[in-house]
Amino acid sequence: MLRYKKTIQVVILLAVVVISAFTLISGLFNKNGNPDIGDKAPDFTLRELGGDESSLSDYMGKVVIVNFWGTYCPPCVREMPLIQSYYEQYKEKGVVVLAVNENDPLVSIKAFIRQYKLTFPILLDKDTVRKQYGVTEYPTTFILDTKGKIAYKQVGEINESFIRGALTKLVKQ
Amino acid sequence: MIHNTKCECGHQNPVGTVLCENCGKPLEDEANTAPLEMRYDGVARRSQRENPSIIDRVWRFFSSVKVAIYLIGITTGLSALGTIYPQENTFLGIDPATHYAENYGVLGEWYYRLGFTDTFGTWWFKLLLIMIGASLVICSLDRVLPLYRALSKQQVRKHLSFLTRQRVVYRGELPSDRYMSGSEASGIQLVTDLTPLLKKKGYKVHTDGSALLAEKHRFSRWGPYINHIGLIIFLLALLFRGLPGWYMDQYIGFVEGEPVAIPDTPYYLKNESFTVQYYTEKELPTEFRGQGRMVPKLYETKAVLYECTADCGMSGVEPVLKEVTQHDIQVNKPLNYRGLLAYQFDYRETPQIRAIRVYLTDHKTEERYGPIELSTTNPKEQFDVGSFELILKDYYPEFDLNENGTPYTKSRSPLAPAYIFLMHGPGLPADGEIYIYFAREIDKQRFSQDKLNGQLAERFEIGASSMDDVSISQYTSYLNIRVDRVLPYLFAGGILFIIGVVMGVYWQHRRIWLRIDEGKEITIGAHTNKNWFGIRKELADVLQKAGIRIDQKQLDNGGNRK
Repeated sequence: MLRYKKTIQVVILLAVVVISAFTLISGLFNKNGNPDIGDKAPDFTLRELGGDESSLSDYMGKVVIVNFWGTYCPPCVREMPLIQSYYEQYKEKGVVVLAVNENDPLVSIKAFIRQYKLTFPILLDKDTVRKQYGVTEYPTTFILDTKGKIAYKQVGEINESFIRGALTKLVKQ
Repeated sequence: MIHNTKCECGHQNPVGTVLCENCGKPLEDEANTAPLEMRYDGVARRSQRENPSIIDRVWRFFSSVKVAIYLIGITTGLSALGTIYPQENTFLGIDPATHYAENYGVLGEWYYRLGFTDTFGTWWFKLLLIMIGASLVICSLDRVLPLYRALSKQQVRKHLSFLTRQRVVYRGELPSDRYMSGSEASGIQLVTDLTPLLKKKGYKVHTDGSALLAEKHRFSRWGPYINHIGLIIFLLALLFRGLPGWYMDQYIGFVEGEPVAIPDTPYYLKNESFTVQYYTEKELPTEFRGQGRMVPKLYETKAVLYECTADCGMSGVEPVLKEVTQHDIQVNKPLNYRGLLAYQFDYRETPQIRAIRVYLTDHKTEERYGPIELSTTNPKEQFDVGSFELILKDYYPEFDLNENGTPYTKSRSPLAPAYIFLMHGPGLPADGEIYIYFAREIDKQRFSQDKLNGQLAERFEIGASSMDDVSISQYTSYLNIRVDRVLPYLFAGGILFIIGVVMGVYWQHRRIWLRIDEGKEITIGAHTNKNWFGIRKELADVLQKAGIRIDQKQLDNGGNRK
């Protein structure tokens, strides 16, 4: 019995180390699941209004504005023209806008695009990506740098100085 | 300096042995007459080496009961700290990163940063539980193996000092009225006489001439180790709860008629209909009657569970659903499908139109066309009605006008559905004409639909022919959706724990050693792990039946009075 004691000791201590490491890693990596400034933006794949599938990783290397919105949210509606005008300005400089719509009827989205003359991609989400990003209020805007990290986050309507400041800082790179 | 561990009986003991494994003679401290340290029967518990390796050091740390108590104390203290501010999981939809700082200031901010807002979920708390688990395993293993060895190979004839230094001792002469003093045969005779008396008390008796070992209820010594195994299973099960798919506890509202996705699962649940029934006046106890009290008698959701087989989770695409089960969910009578439980929790009255079948009437020709089905959640965009074409240009679930008079929708819920059609057909301009249709009569009035549609309103009419054409959801039923796959293991661990506790508490391990030297000196030593009074009483009883008149108090040889 004593002969195997060493093996038993090693096995048990190894099991403790493995379980602890597992707990530590999943604990530190899963912190609330709310991506914030400095975190890598979680990748996702959604269908665009046009029907094609689009992944966040497709846009690696560009500055990406991820905006969570809906037609039933007045501040979302108010900030759209602002986003559209800056998109037109910076499109050639490698800026992409991904407007993630939550649960609107397709008809309403299409009418909205026509009304505000939006040219950036609209992605259709049913709460999946919203939960991934910890979004509880609309609008919420994430601006990612060229490496896919969240550089700016705004909960609530954005204003000109926010988007201008963010884009001038990020696009220089 | 090499420590000599060879006992005078000839047996070679491992280093660290307190009492000789063979004859029980104390290897150190020979002059003393104090009661012996009987833990683990004096067997060497750990190998003492000069240069303990890392493994030895870590093992020794976790095998210490003192360390275990400290760990438990720290865990309890930190748990208590978790009660200062409400935990994250008591709220719905707050952002913990800001909530605590805003409401409790600097203390709140640090409370959140250190992880106390989700005390049981933090990595450091789980690590403490893992350390307690490790301590449980290592403490038990370190003790149970030597104990098992010691108890499995017991000698009948022990050294005299082993007997005289027990906590229950009797030294006396052979009762002369029954036995002939001085003869070896008398000693054997006494042993033979005592054997059935002891067996009647439940002892297993082993004899060796004029020496005797009676033992009973050894199994109770294993009780603590069994309850430790139960605790370890319990702790492991708790840790397993953190794995994805093993635990869920959420509250979801289900509007009548719509399959709603259950997040983190491939399932959709449809509330076919919800019923609430109240007690009639007659059914109420007399004190309650006449007060206009509405006491609910029944909440029931007729539920159908679907599994999504394709196109799940993306908006704009209808998921492909396959029905898997259905159940009438009542309070405490949940739907149960492969571990997914749906309990009736709450309900709200949320009357809304789900879909409406409408007809188009052309007053010019007095023809009625249709019907077409208008959904209020995701309506189709193009309809052919008779010789007309209706294209849906815009749709507002809850139509209203803002201060500028522009239309917008107040929410996603179809509480005031408004459809903006572009109509093409005979008698209409080439690029069509706009026709606004409000599904609810009250909205037609509120927003003056006919005035909005102008000339078109005189010619065309869109509407349902009867209430049968209108599907209405009256209620939203709130269900508590739960998954808890660790429950069976928690039960198993808990039951093992109770078994171990019962084994250890309700029985005691008792041993009685007896030797008769030179045919006249009787020496008895007895030991138990608890309830010394009990064993003294039992021994006194046996001795009295054998002719030795003695009270249990006289058997007491010091140590704790228990």
